[in-house]
Amino acid sequence: MIDSFPYESWDEVATTFWTFGPEDSTGTYVLTVLGIILMVAALIYWVWLEEKKLTAQAALLRGAGGLPPASPTAPGPGFAEPPLAGPSTDPGP
Amino acid sequence: MTSSLASMLSALLAQAPTPEELQEQINLDSLVLLEVFYFFTVVIMWLIHVGFMAYETGAARRKNIMSTAMKNILTIAVVTPSFYYFGWYIYGCFEHGGPAEGHAGPAEFPGFCGLTAPWSAGMAGNLESSLTGHLSLVFFLAFLLFSWTTASIMSGALIERVRLSAYLILAVVLGSGVWIMDAAWGWSSGGWLTTNYGFHDSIASLVVHGVAGAFALGVLLNLGPRIGKYDREGRARTFRPHNTHLTLMGLMLIFTGFYGFYAACLFIQSTVFPGWLNIYLSPTTLGTIAMVITFGFAGGFTGGWIASRGDPFWTLSGGLAGVISVSAGADVYHPSLAYLLSATGGMVAVWSGGYIEKKLRVDDAVGAVAVHGVCGFYGVFLVGIFAGGFPTGLNNVPSSFGGQLMGMLAFFPLAFLPGYIVSWLLKKANLLRVPPEVELEGLDMAEFQQDFFPEFERVPEVVVLPDGQEVEAAPILIEEYTRTNGHRAGAPAERR
Repeated sequence: MIDSFPYESWDEVATTFWTFGPEDSTGTYVLTVLGIILMVAALIYWVWLEEKKLTAQAALLRGAGGLPPASPTAPGPGFAEPPLAGPSTDPGP
Repeated sequence: MTSSLASMLSALLAQAPTPEELQEQINLDSLVLLEVFYFFTVVIMWLIHVGFMAYETGAARRKNIMSTAMKNILTIAVVTPSFYYFGWYIYGCFEHGGPAEGHAGPAEFPGFCGLTAPWSAGMAGNLESSLTGHLSLVFFLAFLLFSWTTASIMSGALIERVRLSAYLILAVVLGSGVWIMDAAWGWSSGGWLTTNYGFHDSIASLVVHGVAGAFALGVLLNLGPRIGKYDREGRARTFRPHNTHLTLMGLMLIFTGFYGFYAACLFIQSTVFPGWLNIYLSPTTLGTIAMVITFGFAGGFTGGWIASRGDPFWTLSGGLAGVISVSAGADVYHPSLAYLLSATGGMVAVWSGGYIEKKLRVDDAVGAVAVHGVCGFYGVFLVGIFAGGFPTGLNNVPSSFGGQLMGMLAFFPLAFLPGYIVSWLLKKANLLRVPPEVELEGLDMAEFQQDFFPEFERVPEVVVLPDGQEVEAAPILIEEYTRTNGHRAGAPAERR
C-alpha cells in the first residue's frame, strides 16, 4: 500500500486547483457560460446544416423527375415504374 | 526473555492502528468501493446504448441505417452537456416541485442542491472524500446514463422520417428536463410524491420507461406515420427490417446493460447492514433485484412469445417489457411473483403494441410506446397491488394503490405535454420531418450522400400488406406519396 506521498504538503493545492479558478469563481462561471454557448450553437448548427442538406436533396429528386409533381391530380400511368428501389442522386435530364 | 517479549509486544502495540485510524480506513475503503461500483455500472450501461443503436439500425430499412444510428450516437453529444448544465441541478433542487429553500435545496439534504450547479465543487475533479464530494461525480454519471436511455427509448419510435436535428432537440428536452424532473419528484427519498404519497418506483418503471414512452407518444402524434405505413382503409402495412439479426442482438445487448442499470439504482451503505439501499433509502440487496430482473426476462420472453405466437421481435421485446413491468417493485418482489407479473407484462406489450399500431394508427417503428410506455405505467400500477404497505421514502409512507395512481396522474401530463408541444412547434417551423421525397429515397443519401452497403447488390424494397402478402414497395410508396400530394405531417405544402 502506498502511503508515503507527501499528501499533507500538497493536498490543499491539489484540492483547490481548477483551471481558471476554484469553485464558485468567475473562472468557473465563464467556463460554464462558454460550454452552454457551444452546446446551443451546436444544436443550431445541426438544424441549419440538416435543413440545407434536406432542401438540396429534395430539390434534386424533384428536378430529376423521379417523383410525381405535388399536385392534386391523380397518379397517372407514368408512375407505374417508379425509380424508388434505392438511393439515387442522378440529376437526370 | 520475558523483558524481551514485553518490549516486542509494546513495540507492536505502539505500531498498531488506533480504533479511530481503523475506522478512518474502513470509511475510505467504503468510499472507494462505492466509487468503483458506480463507475462500472456506467460502463455496463453503455451497452444499453450500443444495443439501442444496433436494435434500431437493424429495424430500419437499408436506406435509413446511418441516419438511424447517428441519432443514438449524437444523443450522447447533446444530452451530456445539457444534463450537466441543467438536468442535474433539476434533480438536486426540484424535489418539492422547485427549490423551496433557494439554492440550499431540500431540508433533507442541505447543500445538495448547490452542489449540483455546474460551477460547484461537486461537479468537477476534487479530493473531497464524501458523498457530496468527488463521489457525486459517479452519481452524476449514472444518472446521465439514465438520461441517455430515456432519449434512446424515444429515438426508435421516430426512425425513418424524423429529422436528426429535431430528434436532438427533443432528446435534450426529454433527457435533460422532463425525465429528471419526474425523478426529482418521485425517484428520490425526499421527492414530494415519495414523502407525501409513498410513491414507489424502485428501478424506474415509470420515471424512465413510462415517461419516455409518453413523451414519444406526444411526438408521434405530430410526426405522423411513415409514407406507406397505412393503406386507404387505415390498415397497417409492415416494412421489412433490413437486418432482424442485428435487431435481436441489439436487444440482447440492452438486456445485458440493464443489469448495470438495475445495479446503479441502488446505494451502497457498506458499513451498515444489509449494505444496500434502494433509491428511497430503504434497505434491499443486490441479489434481490438481480433475481427479479432475471426472472423478469424469463417471464417477459414467455409472455411475449405466447401473445405474439412466436414472433421473434415481439418475443424479445416481451423480455424487455417483462422487466420493465416488474422494475418498480424489484426491491420487494419474490422471484416467482416477478416471473408471473413479467409474463403478463410481455403479453401487455404485444397486445398494446398491436392496438397502438392498428387501432390508434400511430406508427411507432419499434413498439417503444407499448414496451416502455404502457409497461412502465403498468409496472407502478402493479406495485400498488402487490407491494402495498411497503414503507417508502424518508417519511416511510406505505406504498399504496392511491399513491401509485397519484404518480401516474402526475407523470403522464409531465411527459406527454412537453413531447407534444415541442414537436408541434418543430412541425410548425417545418423542422420536424424530412421532405417526403427524401423519405422515399432514404435519409442516408440526403444526410450523408452515400450508400452504406456499397458492396452488396441493391434489391427492391418490399412491404408486407395487411393480408400478409409481401410485395414490392416502390409502387405503393409512390401511390401514397401522390395521394397526399407529398404533404405529410411536418411538411407543409408551401415548402415544396
